[in-house]
Amino acid sequence: MTVNDLVGTLPLTVVAGQDRLAAEVTGGYVSDLLSNVMGFAAPGSVWVTMQGHQNIVAVASLAGLAAVIVAGGAVPEPETAAKAETEGIVLLTTPLSSFELVGQLYRSGVKGQ
Amino acid sequence: MRELALHILDLVQNSLEAGANRVLLEIIEDSSADTLTIRVADNGRGMDAATRRSVIDPFVTTRTTRRVGLGLPLIDMSTKQCEGYLKIDSTVGQGTTVEAVYRHSHLDRPPLGNLAATVKTLVIANPEIDLTYRHMVDNAVFSLATRELTEILGDMPLTHPDVIVWLDEYIAANEANLYGGVQHENS
Repeated sequence: MTVNDLVGTLPLTVVAGQDRLAAEVTGGYVSDLLSNVMGFAAPGSVWVTMQGHQNIVAVASLAGLAAVIVAGGAVPEPETAAKAETEGIVLLTTPLSSFELVGQLYRSGVKGQ
Repeated sequence: MRELALHILDLVQNSLEAGANRVLLEIIEDSSADTLTIRVADNGRGMDAATRRSVIDPFVTTRTTRRVGLGLPLIDMSTKQCEGYLKIDSTVGQGTTVEAVYRHSHLDRPPLGNLAATVKTLVIANPEIDLTYRHMVDNAVFSLATRELTEILGDMPLTHPDVIVWLDEYIAANEANLYGGVQHENS
């Protein structure tokens, strides 16, 4: 499954990284604690969070994540989108709550690791 | 970070890496303004304006092991989550002052954490640094300066086991007193 498959079936908006949607999704992780994500999110995962600070781009880059999804209708800060674009990180948003989105991701076949 | 004490360790570490030998660490809790301020002022080598503006960018770091640094970026994030801000003043050759301000009562504000252990660690890990610690809770103040401690101790080093034990109890007792001696989130 690719990020593009998820964008096609779930209510997700591409904010940055349009050219990287072919990335393979191998799992999922949800947390708002950045240190926790750095420690436990497996490479290739989609990460669901409500944080919108540019630090999420740094964490996604370090952890080698397939995409970051900012949930709950939260709006990423402008510098976050710009940073994601220059660093080649896929940044998505959704109006769904983290809980609801994770449920739909799981039903689509994205599992934890 | 789950505790602000970890940010404090990060900030003082930054000062030491900037070559400072004098560091002032202040924690100011002001209930009328509903703010919690962490201020670290050092006499390190300082930064030019361009560097100062770039330090909250997580992709700018002095690290050589990897290209991402999250010390100040994480503090910037945690203050913004709590209706606060991070302010950095710096002059090349003179030093840097970093001020992190939080709304004290904000639900997402991390607890201060174990300040007594943090301060003790900073003092005994860096006995050669002139470190002044000042914690204010409204009108109550507790302050501690390594320079004063070494004057009192004379030949006895700050790292002597008896000194460490005493320091532990002294800081913990004075921290508790700031909150009227009652049990508190930080004690």
